[in-house]
Amino acid sequence: MTDASAASGTASEIGGARILERGYRSYDGPRLGVRGAMGSLTRHSVQRVLGLKRTFWNKILPFGAIFLAYVPAIVFVGAAVFLKDRFEKNGISVDQVIPSYGEYYLFVWAAIQVFAAFAAPEVLCTDRRNGMLGLYFSSPLRRDTYLAAKAAAVGIVLALVTLGPPLFMLVARAIAGVGPEGLGGFASVLWKVIVGGVVVAVLPVALSLAIASTTTRRAAASAAYMLVTIGSIAVTETLIAAGSSANVFVFDLAYLPLELVGRLFGELPGTILTSAATVPTSNLVIAYLVFTAAFVAFVRFRYQRIQVTR
Amino acid sequence: MGQEDTLSAAMRDHGFTDLGEGGPASVVVGTDIVKRWGSTSVLDGASFRVSRGITGLLGTNGAGKTTLLGMMLGLHRPNDGSLRVLGLDPVRSGPAVRARVGYSPEHHILPPDTNAQDLVRHIAEVHGLPFREATGRASDALWQVGLGEERFRPIGTMSTGQRQRVKLAMAIAHDPRLVLLDEPTDGLDPVQRDDMLALIRRIGTEFGIDIIMSSHLLEEVERVCDGAVILSGGRVVASGPIAELTGGDRGLLVEVDDRADDLAARLRQRGLVVETTGSRLVITRPSDAEAEGHDLYDAVRDDLVASGAGLRRLTNRTVSLEDVFLEVGA
Repeated sequence: MTDASAASGTASEIGGARILERGYRSYDGPRLGVRGAMGSLTRHSVQRVLGLKRTFWNKILPFGAIFLAYVPAIVFVGAAVFLKDRFEKNGISVDQVIPSYGEYYLFVWAAIQVFAAFAAPEVLCTDRRNGMLGLYFSSPLRRDTYLAAKAAAVGIVLALVTLGPPLFMLVARAIAGVGPEGLGGFASVLWKVIVGGVVVAVLPVALSLAIASTTTRRAAASAAYMLVTIGSIAVTETLIAAGSSANVFVFDLAYLPLELVGRLFGELPGTILTSAATVPTSNLVIAYLVFTAAFVAFVRFRYQRIQVTR
Repeated sequence: MGQEDTLSAAMRDHGFTDLGEGGPASVVVGTDIVKRWGSTSVLDGASFRVSRGITGLLGTNGAGKTTLLGMMLGLHRPNDGSLRVLGLDPVRSGPAVRARVGYSPEHHILPPDTNAQDLVRHIAEVHGLPFREATGRASDALWQVGLGEERFRPIGTMSTGQRQRVKLAMAIAHDPRLVLLDEPTDGLDPVQRDDMLALIRRIGTEFGIDIIMSSHLLEEVERVCDGAVILSGGRVVASGPIAELTGGDRGLLVEVDDRADDLAARLRQRGLVVETTGSRLVITRPSDAEAEGHDLYDAVRDDLVASGAGLRRLTNRTVSLEDVFLEVGA
């Protein structure tokens, strides 16, 4: 199998002897089992979402969203590096001008939502629509391991916009000497950046997967995701404005993770969204975990009942 | 460590039970399988045994062939009864069974924007092959099914016949012990069907892979299969080697030069059932127990001598699978 000519199946010629038919050969090498299957499925799904090995048009949306997510980080780091002296001359610290890591997500909110709306339908709806689901379920993958591999793929892709830019900002600032000082300072921000990136990604991934599990149409799932997230903002803000308890904010599926991450970075409550100012952090954490668990349970429920052959 | 040891160790490491060299003599064994979809009973006490080689799973549309294939893959749990595939319970040991089973679904829907090589390699990978081996074997499998030159074409641009071949390549690329083919000739023209059947025969004989193919076309099962399982009304109404199903104890065919009526009369006097068409006689035992003791050859020999008829031909009577199918009321 490793021989190139063997792989191509073409006739090979050595000293006048020609191999015209290699025949079928059995495989006695190692088999990677369920973990290998999950790894392959995750890699394949990530490639699909990013449009790799596909036409140029399939790459525009994912790479456009990634670009949009990194632009603010590049601008802020550039400003910190090149305008540092000017800020200091005017008695302004760089941190006063450049948004904090928690606030950064407000600048890339649109990119995160676009990616979340697009990624899960791309990996889930497509498999049910093009018959791949039956092929996957006839492999060592079970329904749960299939979903875990798909969720990992969407999470990895979403991490490109939730984890990548703050990490870039942290590393670039540290290198330019405008970031956290010392190894201890760097590490204390690094873990928050990683946890923050995961927190910002997980709830949208779960919601997006839950919606994508209800339809085979990608566009419908993407539109439904945007409707639910934007609708949740509109409903909660309207209710709070109408005098309801501020705790209603926990139903804001778009800003709930951002407020939580803001508090992780030590922002004052309400910095991300003023309507969340009086909501206790514990309520935010509980709501986040409950919503995430509910969406995951819903996806699992849907996929346990899908019949692929009958 | 030998290669077989490596395979065994790898399968054990990943929770797979090693299926052993050569596998069990019976590839699939079903005992009193009951499967219901809601209030509809699809399988109602189906019992069968599939031996090594190529086996046709026959039945009319809706007879439960696809459901049974799904159960062999562990995708459906029987309501009652037991099923063993390669010696394992496919529900409890699903991943281990599916790692060594190839499957070609009935539908022709495949990712249109993926090329055949990438798709077959990916399926080989999800069956546990490392990337490099999966790449090589995908290429080999596509050559074996006659798509070597076409393997980098997007599947969306391929004909139905080519897609059927891609599905077959997907089913064999990871070197399975058993391949399940669901209506592999569906949608093919007569030439493509002949090619596909020849390919299936080759995989089942030269490649040494056991095959179970579902079909409602009796003629193609008769052509390529070594055995058949016939489903009807949720039960297995006939199963076994094709030669036994179509031949076996089905009587004799006698052709004489003359005196066919006299010979027929003499045989009937013995209680045998004789159908005459001109000079040809089909002689079978009656279904009642009284005639079971008859040796047909002895009876025909004696009555030929007694009648003085000139024997032109004497052979075992064989029927087509279609006759068997109709006979068992499928």
